[in-house]
Amino acid sequence: MLDPVAGKLEHYMDLLSIRQKLVASNIANADTPGYQTRDIDFQSEYLTEIGETPQVREVSGLPVKNDGNNVSLDRESRLLAENDLRFQVASSLLHSQIHQVQLAIDVDKAS
Amino acid sequence: MSLFSVLSIGASGMAAQRTRAEILVENLANAETTRTPEGGPYRRKDVVFESAPAESPFASLLDNQMQAPEGVSVSQVITDTSAPERRYLPGHPDADANGYVAFPRINPAEDMVDLMDAARSYEANIASIGAVKDMIERSLDLLR
Repeated sequence: MLDPVAGKLEHYMDLLSIRQKLVASNIANADTPGYQTRDIDFQSEYLTEIGETPQVREVSGLPVKNDGNNVSLDRESRLLAENDLRFQVASSLLHSQIHQVQLAIDVDKAS
Repeated sequence: MSLFSVLSIGASGMAAQRTRAEILVENLANAETTRTPEGGPYRRKDVVFESAPAESPFASLLDNQMQAPEGVSVSQVITDTSAPERRYLPGHPDADANGYVAFPRINPAEDMVDLMDAARSYEANIASIGAVKDMIERSLDLLR
């Protein structure tokens, strides 16, 4: 639409919201017996084609509790905050891109 | 892909933890109860959680493709079947022939710790709803 950068930003924000969804799901299931933490590989997903369905995988290497659950609330809170901040950065950048187009349109009105 | 469905995941977590807290409070309140409608002393209850698709009226096709991220629900409430604790109280109206009264086998410390855990998990779900709400607001700001 605007330019390639805006398209990349959109993809980035899409992935962030998918990841945030998985984080919310992990937090909700923090006490579910046998539940395994889920996540996406952000970097490799970002490099794949826009529009492809991200691969959800189970995270390994986390300490497993007695009931077979391996959700770490510390890890999830960190990701929750991180995704939120990254999303803020991306949306500010996208906002400034849109603002530039707006300015270009308004130049005509001003003269 | 909608951020709005994440809100219902958080809500499902809150609902499940609230149910758990209710059951735990019930256990604490009935720690000394010797009479129940079913007869005998009160028996300790506990919840079993299971992951379940979060209720979202607008579940999209994409969600199905990426094996919908799941919310949580209470699958069942289990009742402790272990033998009740017997205390020698001959004057008690519920005492048996030998003077023993059956009391619930409840450890208040155990239930209090679980209750704290439920409260913290509830807060964690609120935090995730807050973060997602923030992201939705940011997206809406792009329209301004």
